[in-house]
Amino acid sequence: MMAETELKVGIISCSGEDLPEGTISRLATRRVLEFLRPGQTVTLCLPLFLAGGEGERAFAREFPTITIDGCGKQCAKRGTEAHSGPVSAALVVTDLLPDAPRGSGRVSTRGTDMRDEAAVREVAQVIAQHVDAILADAPQAAPGETSGASCGCGCATSLPPGVIEVAGQSVTIPGLPLILQQCAQDGLIADNADASERLVQLVSIYHPVPDAERSDYATALLAAYRAYLQSRHASR
Amino acid sequence: MESSAKQVLLIPCSGIGKVHGLIAREGVYRALEQAPEGKAATMCLALLVVGDDEARQLVGKYPVITVDGCPKLCACKNAELAGGRIARSVRVLDVLKEYKGLQPGTATALSADGWKVVDALSSELLAEVRVLTAPGEVA
Repeated sequence: MMAETELKVGIISCSGEDLPEGTISRLATRRVLEFLRPGQTVTLCLPLFLAGGEGERAFAREFPTITIDGCGKQCAKRGTEAHSGPVSAALVVTDLLPDAPRGSGRVSTRGTDMRDEAAVREVAQVIAQHVDAILADAPQAAPGETSGASCGCGCATSLPPGVIEVAGQSVTIPGLPLILQQCAQDGLIADNADASERLVQLVSIYHPVPDAERSDYATALLAAYRAYLQSRHASR
Repeated sequence: MESSAKQVLLIPCSGIGKVHGLIAREGVYRALEQAPEGKAATMCLALLVVGDDEARQLVGKYPVITVDGCPKLCACKNAELAGGRIARSVRVLDVLKEYKGLQPGTATALSADGWKVVDALSSELLAEVRVLTAPGEVA
């Protein structure tokens, strides 16, 4: 196996259960790992610093690390620095999104809406900017030097993309094949407005869908879904 | 006679690397929605990681049900290290054994199957909350 030579940035989320901003911190971190900077970032569950072993506690010493906290208590930053090592940047959702409510104010991802998506996207973009800044400042690793940049859980694995035509433009959607597959497994019927709206909702978790283009995305995604169903049927 | 617990704390691991952590987190949220008012609450697990005094007092005062996504049992271990009274340690993997072959989704978003597992998990948690807060139960 070829050794990995690129430096990766660690992202630790507080994922606070008791406040909506904890959910935003978690989803924004996932968005960076999966879609904005896949292959350049890695994460670790914050509670593993205490529950895990020395390998987990070496995380922030091994990777330049960004913490993303929901509130001013900054548990992710404090926990990381106490148990693992100093962090390169410490972000707080309530600072990044000063106007409450942030998102819909819900803690559960059940029934998330466009306000939640917007909040997650905004925080994720800031995290990604910090990732870029850290990588730009970092010295390049020597050839053959491994970063060991995986916690082994698949959290930094990017999803296969799909391409759709939105108003004549080719747009790459991370994870689209899996989204279509899941919709088919869920029995989503591709012949009504509910289907296109559901597809837009799912895709917008992973890819920004501007309000002005929502209708175009709905049309394109429904066409892609129909094509997927036909190919699935033909292959049987 | 010893009184029942006024309240039970439900603490999920919220593991960020796998779907199991999301199931744990959402299972707790669902149980909290359905629990009798004032009988169940959650707290940020991260507060226990940093040794927050108020959080430590709460897990020492009320019975705790931890919900973990993976065998590393982060929620249970952190609550125990903080002096928590662990009434029950629930593992998502055990719940999933009843749903072999389901595709529950990802660590970011659950599928319809994933929400079914969440509902099953929350029912289990809710039943435990009712037992622990029932009159006469020593908790």
